[in-house]
Amino acid sequence: MIEFTEEQELIRESVKEFAQKKIAPIALDMEKHKEIPADIIKGMAELGILACTADPAYGGSGLNAVTAGVVAEELAKGDCTGSTCVFYLVQAAWGYLLNKYGTEEAKKEIFPKATSGDWFLGIATTESGGGTDVVGGKTTIKKDGDSFIVNGEKMYISGVREAVTNGGGHITIAHQSPELGSRGMTVFYLPLTAEGITPTYIDDLGREGISCGGFAIDNVKIPKHYILGEENKGFYIIHEGYEYARALIAVICAAAGLKSLENGMNYVKERKVFGKPLAKFQEINFRLAEHYTKLEMLKRLGYEALRAIDLEQEGKGNRFETSKIVAMSKMFASDWACEAINDVIQWQGAFGYSRECPDQAAWRAVRSFSLAEGTREVMKMIVARELLGKELTSYK
Amino acid sequence: MADYKDIWVFVEIKKADIRGVTFELIGKAKELAKNTNEKVSVIILGKDVSSFCEELSYHDLDKIYLCENEILEDYLTETYSLTLVELINKYLPNIILFPATKIGRDLAPRVAATLETGLTADCIDLKVIDGNLVQTRFVYGGNYLVDIICPTKRPQITSVRPNVMEKSESTEKNQPEIIEFPVKIDPNKLKTKIIDKIETTVTEVKPIDEADIIVSGGRGIGSKENFKIIEELAEVLNAAVGASRASVDAGWVSKSCQVGQSGTVVNPNIYIACGISGTTQHLVGMKSSKKIIAINKDPNAPIFEVCDYGIVGDFKVIVPILKEALKKKLSQN
Amino acid sequence: MRYIVCVKQVPESNDLKFDSDENKVLKIGVSTIINPFDQFALEQAIKIKNEGDEIIAISIGDAETKSTLMRCLALGADKGILLDDEDFKDSDTFATSNILATAITKIGNYSIIFCGNSSIDTGSSQVGPELAAILKIPQVTYVESVENVENGKVKVKAQTDEGYRIIESELPLVIAGIPPSSFQPSIPPLPKILAARKKPFDIWKTEDIEGDPSKFGSNGSVIKIIKLYKPPKREQGIVFTDEPNIAVEKLMELLSKDKVI
Repeated sequence: MIEFTEEQELIRESVKEFAQKKIAPIALDMEKHKEIPADIIKGMAELGILACTADPAYGGSGLNAVTAGVVAEELAKGDCTGSTCVFYLVQAAWGYLLNKYGTEEAKKEIFPKATSGDWFLGIATTESGGGTDVVGGKTTIKKDGDSFIVNGEKMYISGVREAVTNGGGHITIAHQSPELGSRGMTVFYLPLTAEGITPTYIDDLGREGISCGGFAIDNVKIPKHYILGEENKGFYIIHEGYEYARALIAVICAAAGLKSLENGMNYVKERKVFGKPLAKFQEINFRLAEHYTKLEMLKRLGYEALRAIDLEQEGKGNRFETSKIVAMSKMFASDWACEAINDVIQWQGAFGYSRECPDQAAWRAVRSFSLAEGTREVMKMIVARELLGKELTSYK
Repeated sequence: MADYKDIWVFVEIKKADIRGVTFELIGKAKELAKNTNEKVSVIILGKDVSSFCEELSYHDLDKIYLCENEILEDYLTETYSLTLVELINKYLPNIILFPATKIGRDLAPRVAATLETGLTADCIDLKVIDGNLVQTRFVYGGNYLVDIICPTKRPQITSVRPNVMEKSESTEKNQPEIIEFPVKIDPNKLKTKIIDKIETTVTEVKPIDEADIIVSGGRGIGSKENFKIIEELAEVLNAAVGASRASVDAGWVSKSCQVGQSGTVVNPNIYIACGISGTTQHLVGMKSSKKIIAINKDPNAPIFEVCDYGIVGDFKVIVPILKEALKKKLSQN
Repeated sequence: MRYIVCVKQVPESNDLKFDSDENKVLKIGVSTIINPFDQFALEQAIKIKNEGDEIIAISIGDAETKSTLMRCLALGADKGILLDDEDFKDSDTFATSNILATAITKIGNYSIIFCGNSSIDTGSSQVGPELAAILKIPQVTYVESVENVENGKVKVKAQTDEGYRIIESELPLVIAGIPPSSFQPSIPPLPKILAARKKPFDIWKTEDIEGDPSKFGSNGSVIKIIKLYKPPKREQGIVFTDEPNIAVEKLMELLSKDKVI
């Protein structure tokens, strides 16, 4: 396991206190009301964890990836619904991209609002026609004097309602020069309060405290300072945001799974069947041992992936190694956590199946992570490609 | 060390009465004195306190050290510790017992450190072994006990938890020697003063720290209205009303009822816990009660692991039935 | 104004194992926190701090204690001092108070010393008053709030058995704080944790405080623990799960039999 610095331990302590004292008691309520309460968002802002990867000059906390992971881990332990975890991770990962490639003007405009909890900051690359095949997306962006005009749609996006209601927007990608394929895409910040955005909302299976939805983009005009990096070169930078999110997800899945296992452990130590505690049955305690081992492995790999991102930032890493280890860390994250939580629900019998049980919320949340920010199939493609080379693994 | 002799008890006055714990200390002091062949005396500080000598002369005391002065009317660390240190340096007692009340816990360490001698606070047992006072107290939230001695310094000072020791029984009146100790403190030289006093506890409410029986309500009570059920049971038993932190925070009872780590540590003969789950912080405050009766809807509540008797059920139903049963039994006794 | 806050690092849980030969509890691998009463004391100091005032957090411990002092810095203390020396180990409250008094005298020029009224591990409420006695300065215990500092004096609100009283004291003094039930301890936010690393942090040994080792540690202790042991286990209680009338009847029978009533 990587060693954490004194500061990271202090940060862990603070987020843990906040997550246990403020979020945990009302976690299931967030799903009932389908929102994260304003005072929790304010608390997260005051704690300094919103868009935490942004530079302090813009109001962020300037956290590196490993530290961002520590925050994610403690949030996951406190929020069985995963709602605040998703809220946090998209801001951390995509705030990182905006911080690295955004213009001064954009950063000065967006970050103070995001870090204070006023604006939502998220990611929107999936379309109704596809998510995995980013280049297959239909949304376009066209230069228009000093501005750009965007047309298209995005679907299955987290935080649409939050951005539409309170302000903010999403980092997104579109074709600027469609004839160039992947070499003609541009990444930019799209404000969801802009004229021409028509939102729709979807009920999804879990993390119900944060919204899911989509939006039509009809001749939306954005200023040029919202472009990230260079025009037409977006495809080459967007993976950095995905990778950051994926490594955070690995840690979140491990933490959520381990927290559920802890709930399960406490239960099987007390609950008696045929006169003896459930924990005495090998079917139970062997499964516990297996899930615990896998999730602890997952946690370590997640932190290794975050560290690889940091090393690359410091100029000490290798692009391909980082890409590979990040994909490795997320590949089984959701599945292993789901398997563990599935058993925890089973151990608790009828209670496990009731909405009052925190573990069912955790299962529903964690289930999304084999799909969000890159499916498990994409993770396999990446690792296969790193091992065998592009020629043998090209998807065309 | 051989110059130090006899056992002193600090008399705490509360609202024109000698506080009950004083007699518990006198009782224990007399027990210790039998073993060490010493005598027991008391110290009283205050304004018009000589009137208390009458009541104290029924407890077979050797001396009453009377420190009477207007300046001692209200407790102030400065005046009381100055007076006590002078008194102790003149008369050299072997052992001094203070009550572990707010005053005792403020005064005893001040006096002990000024005299550069040892204090053991909040003791629940005292014995003398080989010439040393062995003082026992709880540590680590009541999970452990420690036995402590003060081997090389005198006097040996201890503060004692209220409601633990057996009260001294009144005996035949004797004539304790009354030593009037002159208090020469210049009020102009004092560095502290009391600006205001605010009473928040309603005087009819029985204080929990010295109560023999406490009926306590927790989060499970549910509302201020429902707390009346607890109060009615307390009334039948002539008990004090206690509460967990949850009830106090919810505004159902005043803070003076709070039992627990950040409230009061109590030691009643009977503690009846209703709708209290039994968090560690609460247990720390009542674990040493002689008998604990728990009533809670949740069969898995931690309180059932520390209680002597328990009923699983809704207190709203059970307490009224219990109240009637107790009423009947007590009227029979 | 210079305010000094004495803090103690305590085990997070009081469920500890012990060594019956050494008469000590085992603290290796046990997670630690700041004594909550001491965090309250620090927050009292922060509340009355004005521009130009300095708050120094001080603690006796070892390398592990640093995290508690860093937390104090993140909460708003300006400087942290860790008193770490073999000489300080195994101190009773009197020796502890002597170590603190020596260090505080070395710091000098202080207006108020804040400390928690008691610690959640050993809880004897002795250090505050003993420290004040050694320094020969006034003390007020059970303080729920510090009202204002004016003209070399301070007013505090202290709990009494009947309610409260307001005490006015000259400076310097020791204030031992006890939080009201409304108190919610602050959580150090991340930017302040990161800024804390730039604040001054010193580790002082016996020679740094110009101390007399004979007053510290076991040499300077006036009391001695002769035994540490578990209290006799309460016998398993009898819990009734019958319907209310029957349960109460059975309970009454037992209470009579056991002569509880």
